[in-house]
Amino acid sequence: MDSNYLLARAKDKDLLEKGECGGAVSSIFQYLLDCNLVEGVLNLSHGEDIYDGIPTLIEDSNDLIETCGSLHCAPTMFGELISKYLQDIRLAVAVKPCDAMAIKELENRHQIDSDKIYKVGLNCGGTVLPITARKMIELFYEIDPADVVKEEIDKGKFIIELTDGSHKDLKIDDLEDEGYGRRVNCQRCEQMVPRNADIACGNWGTEPGWTFIEIITPKGKELVEGARQNGYIEVKAPSEKAVAIREKVESVMIKMARKFQDKYLEENYPSLEEWDEYWNRCIKCYACRDACPLCYCRECELEKEFYQDSENTPPDPLTFQGVRLSHVCYSCINCGQCEDVCPMEIPVARIFHRMQKKYRDQTGYIAGMDEELPPLYSPEKE
Amino acid sequence: MSENEPKIIGFCCNWCCYGGADTAGTARMQYPPNVRIVRVMCSGRINPSMVLKAFKEGADGVFVGGCHMGDCHYDAGNYKWRRRAKFVEDLLPEFGIDKERFRFEWISASEGEKFQKTMEEFRNSLKKHGSLQRSFSK
Repeated sequence: MDSNYLLARAKDKDLLEKGECGGAVSSIFQYLLDCNLVEGVLNLSHGEDIYDGIPTLIEDSNDLIETCGSLHCAPTMFGELISKYLQDIRLAVAVKPCDAMAIKELENRHQIDSDKIYKVGLNCGGTVLPITARKMIELFYEIDPADVVKEEIDKGKFIIELTDGSHKDLKIDDLEDEGYGRRVNCQRCEQMVPRNADIACGNWGTEPGWTFIEIITPKGKELVEGARQNGYIEVKAPSEKAVAIREKVESVMIKMARKFQDKYLEENYPSLEEWDEYWNRCIKCYACRDACPLCYCRECELEKEFYQDSENTPPDPLTFQGVRLSHVCYSCINCGQCEDVCPMEIPVARIFHRMQKKYRDQTGYIAGMDEELPPLYSPEKE
Repeated sequence: MSENEPKIIGFCCNWCCYGGADTAGTARMQYPPNVRIVRVMCSGRINPSMVLKAFKEGADGVFVGGCHMGDCHYDAGNYKWRRRAKFVEDLLPEFGIDKERFRFEWISASEGEKFQKTMEEFRNSLKKHGSLQRSFSK
């Protein structure tokens, strides 16, 4: 096992069958729990339907089977859950790139202990809002959303499986042209492979029934090696072609993301008048702040007396989002949670992502990827 | 002061710029009375949110003065402020405030003349821009 690339699949029959791409990820979790390397595994389990995912802490490896399978229509965020509620246990967590970025930023801020956590990364081409998913399945697939039993995103297509076992797929590009498809922040995201986790797992370039794993950290190497030696996964080397395909998929997706960044953050970026209209909708519910994985202060400056307006709503954007931007936008990981939770549909993530990009261009700091805090906090004389 | 004179909030560090303003005063150098000085212990103490709050409350321009690089009374406060100041310059246009309305400068306690000159320049440039018309209105 010299190379950092390998293909893996579960040895356990149930996981092999029920897990996505051979169930390698679930098997690695099984190994971690069985060998007591962690006390719990944080993962998503299925809710009522495919549009519902529930963050679940699994403490018994027999329960892992509930967390098998993909849930693209249930965008969640694990960073904050860990820093708020799971700080004190040894944990393994399945992370999308944005989860991994949030965790990295929180580690830099001493809110998560990196020694206590295994980050098993999952490649991610984007997620879909549950409401959008339901609407587009009804409109474009002409199917009752309740009849869908499984969904998958592969080769640029959003694929659904019905109760009778039949499949239907449509190109995501076409759906996005119509204003559906992936969340807009996901469209802008250029981090498909979580290179800030310990390992990155996915289906790009792999053969059916196998997971492609890229080993990133020494801890990740130890983890995969341990799972193999203890008989939880079997591994083989990927063909050169497989590695090439995977690289190609990634580079194409990054190019697309850059295009979307230009589209949403430059060309179609809201004008000041449009922003005014957005800010006027604000009902000051603080949901954006509460959902932000990076906002961890126990006492928030926004609630200080000196920022209160005489009339309560809408708050002056300068001393509401402006103050939030000045606190966290350097580290904005573009997870889109603020935008998702906004009851007034203000595209908050756009201004944050735009400011992060400006900051990145000036300082080279990439949120969620660097091992250190943004240079703003540096004690250096420069 | 007439109605159409720009209002300037000036945050000055105790050890250098505030001293510079003092020097200008004791030497009876004339500088525009538009600036309302707020003394802070160090330019490194200034947050972007203080600048934002000043604009929100109706300032037409915000000035920040600190020690020259290498002269910070607390070693590196002005380096920290400089990094923050660059960010403020990027942030203000997002809310429709021209970054010309925000200015920062390094002025030592002996540079009364530089303080005088900076204030005159800043006032004149703000006068040209006119009073701040915030596009946000409830």
